[in-house]
Order: sequence, then C-alpha cells, then structure tokens
Amino acid sequence: MQTTYPRTRRWTRAEYDRLIEQGMFQPGERLELLAGNLVVREPQGDPHAFAIELANEALRTAFGPEWRVRVQLPIALDDESEPEPDVSVAPGRLRESSEAKPSRLVLVVEVSQSSLALDREYKGSLYARARVPEYWIVNLVNRILEVYRDPKLDASASYGWAYRSVQSLGAGAHVSPLAAPTVRVPVADLLP
Amino acid sequence: MSESAIRTRRWSRVEYDRLIEEGVFQPGERLELLAGQLVVREPQGTPHATGIRLLTRALREVFAEDRWIVDMQLPVALDEESEPEPDVTVTAGNPRDFLPSHPARPVLVVEVAEASLALDREEKGSLYARARVPEYWILNLRDRVLEVYREPHPDPSSPHGWAYRSRQNLAAGEHVTPSAAPTARIAVTNLMP
Repeated sequence: MQTTYPRTRRWTRAEYDRLIEQGMFQPGERLELLAGNLVVREPQGDPHAFAIELANEALRTAFGPEWRVRVQLPIALDDESEPEPDVSVAPGRLRESSEAKPSRLVLVVEVSQSSLALDREYKGSLYARARVPEYWIVNLVNRILEVYRDPKLDASASYGWAYRSVQSLGAGAHVSPLAAPTVRVPVADLLP
Repeated sequence: MSESAIRTRRWSRVEYDRLIEEGVFQPGERLELLAGQLVVREPQGTPHATGIRLLTRALREVFAEDRWIVDMQLPVALDEESEPEPDVTVTAGNPRDFLPSHPARPVLVVEVAEASLALDREEKGSLYARARVPEYWILNLRDRVLEVYREPHPDPSSPHGWAYRSRQNLAAGEHVTPSAAPTARIAVTNLMP
C-alpha cells in the first residue's frame, strides 16, 4: 500500500536529468518525471508494444523526413516534467536538430490499456498545460483513437489545463494530424 | 483523478543517504524518508521548538549521558526505506557509536505535534510500530496532552501494517515513566510549552 503524504519532494527536470547522469537509478528502471513526481511506468503487454510499432510506422509515413518521430524517448515538456510518451512528433530533421530532448512537440501519442484514466486525466492535463497542440490516445480497451486538441484553461483538471476538443474515432475513420493536414491516416492502421 | 492514483518511485534508505552525500538536495531543505517517500517537513513555530527543548531537557535528566544519547531532530536509520528525523529520540550508547551509521534502535521516539497530528498519529505511529520502536510519544500541543504509545503489534488496518496496542493520554498534572527508565517520573506539566 502506498501512503500519500501531505507534501512529498518534487523534482525539477534539471534535477531529474542530474539524477540520471549520476546513475542514481537502477538499470532498467522505467520512470517518467510528471509534474515533479517520479512516476513508475507500468510494464507493457504485447498489444501495447505492437500498437506503438503501428503508430510509429504510420506517423513516420505521414510526417516524412522533415520531422522527428520518436518512440518512448524523453521529451523536455516543462520545468518539472520529462515524460517518455509512446510516440512523439517534433519538427526538424534529426541530424540538424539542436535539441537532444525536443521541447516543441506537435503531437504526442499514448497507447492505453490499463493506464486509460492516467493517460486521459493526468497526462492529458499535463500535455495541455505544456500547450502540446494535439494528443492522441490509442485506446485498446474500446479499440478507438481519442483525438484531443485545443488546450485551454480548466480549473477542474489535474493541472489546470485540459483539451477543449475531444473526438473518438472508430476503426473505419481517418485522422489528419494538425501538423500534417493533407495526410489521412486510417485509424485501422493504428489498431493492433 | 488525483495524484494519489499514480505510483511514484520509492527510495531505499541507502539511496537516500547517497542522494544526501552527492549534494542532490538544496541547502536547507528539510526532508524525511518515510516508507520510501521523500516527505517535506513543515516549518515549525515557537511552541513546537519550545516543546522540543522542554522534552530534551527532561529526558536528559532521566537518561544519563554516560549511557544514553538524547537527540533533537537527527536522522534515525529506522528501516530499509525510512530515515525520519524525529523531534526527540533516546538511544542507548555514546555519540561516537553512531559515526559509521545513524542510530537504528531508539528506545523512545517523540514527535511534537500541532498541525501534523494526523500524520504523527497514523503514518509515523504505524511506521515506528513496524520498526518495533518500543515506545512512542506525541506531545500534542493542540489538546495539551502527552500521548504515550507502547507495545507495537501487527494491525492490517494501519497504513504500514503495524500499530501500538496501548495508548495513554496524560494531561498536565500527571506523570510519565519511560519504559527504558522505570524508576523515573516526569511531570507532563514540565513538557508543555
């Protein structure tokens, strides 16, 4: 059982990066820094891993070589958050990019099975607060793609921000990323 | 969904000590490691500080310095994932005994509680009981009583699976005898700010 104390120590992103450099964590630990909390990532099953490969392939094709499409790599989201989204898209050719960890994302994707509540409410609010313009959840429970756009202030959300627009797309639908508006990605291509 | 639903990384005491050694924390940060979590300590007012001084003075009269150390807010190596800094502790031994590692087996732990009463009773009480600290006092400034807890025993309903079987509330005018100093009598009045 995990007790929740009134106030636990929050980490900044700079401190977190230093902890990693100093080798403070055990090999193979899967962590993310979310709003100052060192959050343990849950183990992922085969459908989750396969869905990540699918999203990676679809988005690489959709965005092309002028964009970085990254799989479970850290992003510099804000001063107290360094998540590792399942897939993230940032502008710029890889070799020409000055940022090891991108901070300006055009799209973040999480594949969600048991983590649906976390991905929707907690991470959704965090990505909205960082003004990530578009956030997708590949919802394996209901076999749909949830498309979130238009971050706005929302006092009832975990971090004071939420997405104004929410669309649920079934396997027969298509989605066009905001940053690649001429592309049509079949939702079926994203579902395992 | 609140933050309590997320699973945060827990630190072992060895890791915590390394974080301190490497200078990871800011100067002046007041932290305790409680069951793997880095808990921020609340600022303390003068009644809290006065309570600590009164307790220390009373306990040093009872526990002779050739055999005991009475510490104020120093780390205790409580268990593998806890290193609290209780307001006052009494441990058998001499200061240099604890140069290699912090005391692990205090005979008495005391917390002075005002705003932190619930935390001190439930969380810390369960944690000290789990570590088999034989006696735990809370100097309860809100109700002006000394809460005396003894006899740690397993209790699945407690936060850390242990609690104290015996609890006494002693008011001003009453006396307390620490289990480790059975001939002593400390007036509760002398402990109240």
